[in-house]
Amino acid sequence: MKILLKLIVFIVPTSFIFMFFMLLTNDKSYPGADYTSFKLPSFKLENLENLDTISNDVLEGDFILNVWASWCITCIIEHPYLMSLTKNGIPVVGLNYKDDRDDAIIWLDKYGNPYNLILHDYKGTFALDLGVTGAPETFLINDGKVVAHYQGEVNEIIWQDVFLPVIKEMEMF
Amino acid sequence: MIIEISHFLSVLATGLFFLAGSFSLFTKNTLYISNLISRTYSHGFLLLLTSFSIYIWLAISDNFSVQYIASHSNTELPTFYKISSIWSAHEGSMFLWIVFLSLWGFFFNISVKNDQILKSKSIGVISVILVGFLLFLLVTSNPFITILPIAPLNGADINPVLQDPALAIHPPTLYLGYVGFVIPFACAISFLLIGDSNIKWELLVRKWSIAAWAFLTIGITLGSWWAYYELGWGGYWFWDPVENIALMPWLAATAFIHSLSVSIKSSHLRIWTILLSISVFSLSLFGAFIVRSGIIDSVHSFANDPDRGLYLLGFISIIVFTSIYLFIFRLPTIKESKRIKKFSKESFISINNIFFGTLIFSVMLGVTYPLIYEFLFDQKISVGAPFYNAIFIPIVVLASFFLFFSVDSKWSRKINFKFFKTPIFLSLFFSIITVIYISDRFNSNNLAILISIFAGTIIIFRYIYELLDSLLNKKYINPFSVIAHMALGLLLVSISFNSLLSTERAINIKINEYEEYKGLNIYFDDIRVLKNSNNDSIKATFFIEDAKGKQFNLSPEKRRYFTRGQITTETAIHIMPLKDIYMTIGDQLDDGSWIVNIQINYLIRFIWFSAALMAFAGIMLIFSNRRA
Amino acid sequence: MNPIRKRRIYSILLVLLFSVSGISLILYSLNSNLDYFFTPTELKDKNIPIDKRIKVGGMVLNGSVKRASSKISFIVTDYENSITVEYEGIVPDLFKEGSGVVVLGFLDNQIVYAEEVLAKHDENYMPPNLDIKNDN
Repeated sequence: MKILLKLIVFIVPTSFIFMFFMLLTNDKSYPGADYTSFKLPSFKLENLENLDTISNDVLEGDFILNVWASWCITCIIEHPYLMSLTKNGIPVVGLNYKDDRDDAIIWLDKYGNPYNLILHDYKGTFALDLGVTGAPETFLINDGKVVAHYQGEVNEIIWQDVFLPVIKEMEMF
Repeated sequence: MIIEISHFLSVLATGLFFLAGSFSLFTKNTLYISNLISRTYSHGFLLLLTSFSIYIWLAISDNFSVQYIASHSNTELPTFYKISSIWSAHEGSMFLWIVFLSLWGFFFNISVKNDQILKSKSIGVISVILVGFLLFLLVTSNPFITILPIAPLNGADINPVLQDPALAIHPPTLYLGYVGFVIPFACAISFLLIGDSNIKWELLVRKWSIAAWAFLTIGITLGSWWAYYELGWGGYWFWDPVENIALMPWLAATAFIHSLSVSIKSSHLRIWTILLSISVFSLSLFGAFIVRSGIIDSVHSFANDPDRGLYLLGFISIIVFTSIYLFIFRLPTIKESKRIKKFSKESFISINNIFFGTLIFSVMLGVTYPLIYEFLFDQKISVGAPFYNAIFIPIVVLASFFLFFSVDSKWSRKINFKFFKTPIFLSLFFSIITVIYISDRFNSNNLAILISIFAGTIIIFRYIYELLDSLLNKKYINPFSVIAHMALGLLLVSISFNSLLSTERAINIKINEYEEYKGLNIYFDDIRVLKNSNNDSIKATFFIEDAKGKQFNLSPEKRRYFTRGQITTETAIHIMPLKDIYMTIGDQLDDGSWIVNIQINYLIRFIWFSAALMAFAGIMLIFSNRRA
Repeated sequence: MNPIRKRRIYSILLVLLFSVSGISLILYSLNSNLDYFFTPTELKDKNIPIDKRIKVGGMVLNGSVKRASSKISFIVTDYENSITVEYEGIVPDLFKEGSGVVVLGFLDNQIVYAEEVLAKHDENYMPPNLDIKNDN
């Protein structure tokens, strides 16, 4: 009887822990890693800086679309990485999300502007079409199609895991 | 600057706990050393408490140079929610969890004398656990990180769903329950470490275990209540993975406190009790792991981070395997009385343990099976309420019958087998009458529900008889057991009635129109758009008249918060003694009418009341003078 | 065999019998109460019995939401295939065109009759983007 007890007491937690270990180490896929591409929804928004109207046809080629706002804390943390992306010649388009224009401009003055172009989505309608749930979120756009998406702070690790494989596969930039 | 002090104090506390742990486990615990351990622990605790107090103060004073506070608090929040924002996400809630763990240890430390043979080792075990979790906090999820040089001005917008009194107190209570089981665990481990089977560790931990159990009970109940009225889920239990992982330690703890009383009374089930004390704490840790590793997505789970998961898994495995190794190593030396007499109280509690074990196993399976399945077959599945109902209903009913007969049983003695003894006969009789009446009155032939009601009522009637008997004939009863078990009976009855009678319907209704539902006359009086400071809201007003002519208003609301664009439902609930009228408002249709959901929830408050009553019985026992 | 040993073996066998039958009962009820999760693409070439409860996840197609009295119908898509869902009742707060949704219901003739419509939440109580599986 005692041997049976010993065996059960040992085997049950071992199997559970083994299983969780497998699950944790196996599941390396970040949300958005297996992404089905879709067409960039159509939009008509103002340029944050000079109030020009911008629609789909202005944005051509491959670029990164980064959703941010001055009220977003994580965006501050993400900011240096975006700066480094721009420095490496990757076009980054900002989507200023549910934000006051003045606040946004003050924010950019304070931290620096990593964006080649900023769309001002005050009502969040374009973001809604994109399926944005908050800031920051980042989309990879290939020829008018969204091919990758990440919710949360983009950093070197996320870049390597989520975006770089897609970029290599599609031979972008 | 101040945050660095807080950070430093936490690190220092970790060091002191490390010292206390090493002294306790690697030296011979003479009285001198024991005093030293006790003091070191207390000082460690005080440092940690100071660190946490500073952290709270920083949150109150809107110090947004701290990244965590900046992302979870806001200048506009009332002070109360500034404090509760600390435990609204992973890092801060982990911090609170650890502070509570050390708090239990501290109370244990100051209330048990240093010459108690188990104390020093137990404090050592607690210290080691604290070191592990503090390292986890400081290394993988540091709440003290600052954003420099420029701090945001107003902080983030806190999630409106979290601005709620129930949520503010629900996690702390639940944590107090979870980590409270560190005391029985630590004592069991030190009992195994010392290896002297004559030490009565069970007696030492009894009240501590019941206190932790009471907190866990209240925490789960508060969570259930919060989901009902704030999240607008409209029910009391959803078999959500996180509810389930709170339920598992509760089940194990309930089995544990029962076995504990057996071990104390008659030295039966001692091995089993040790095993259960290890299981309860392991299941609590398992809960922390599940929620914090992001392995399961649920309303409550925190952001996904595999590193945190791996660290926790590693540390928990060390705790579990060390305990099991010790347990197996000492198994031959643990003396317990063999041969439980048939139909004695011990035998009933042993059977009850089997039932609890089955329930825990089933819940564990329900939680983990989807993970295994997806891993093996790459197919997502989920386990829903039907599975849990299929397991819980028969087992709980069966256990209730055993409980019913166990009322007559005596410690270490065979039951006096006269089935038609008055109390049994009377309570069976009344219960059958009640069930027949209910079946007739509500025209129901749902066997599962009727049997559950029967199971509940026999317990209630049986204990009412005991109460009367004790009042009239001065017969001795254990008041705590009577209250807790009557609460169980009441819980069964309320849950059954709730599922028997509760109804809901979505109606669409235009303004100034009448609609009738279940004898309620509903008049849609008004709907207006309100501009609040941080949200727009649509607030409807309904006049309702029930069948008896009683009138009341209900104003369900829908809010849209500016910064996140988040929409929340504010339910409107009219509370009556036996039922709730629960109303939520949906969308407007093209023809101008609104969709409104109406639920009539029967006895839902009795469900929470019964749970609270169980916890109350436990709390009373702690403050009573009963020794065992 | 001496009687004590015999009794011991019997009791072990009894315990084993009980636990095996108990576990198989639990597993049986687990298996008959599982909700399988599908994307519209996975549903396309699968035969699912009418009485089998399933979960379907995807995005709510823009412009597909239609309301008639308290009934609502919409199309769930994974951008490859889509399927119509019908539901009676209030959809959750986070239900939006173009955002993620999970419905729980029964499939009949390529229409899902939903019992429940869910939008999943994370730490911030937001519906996460559905990580749609790419079958290719």
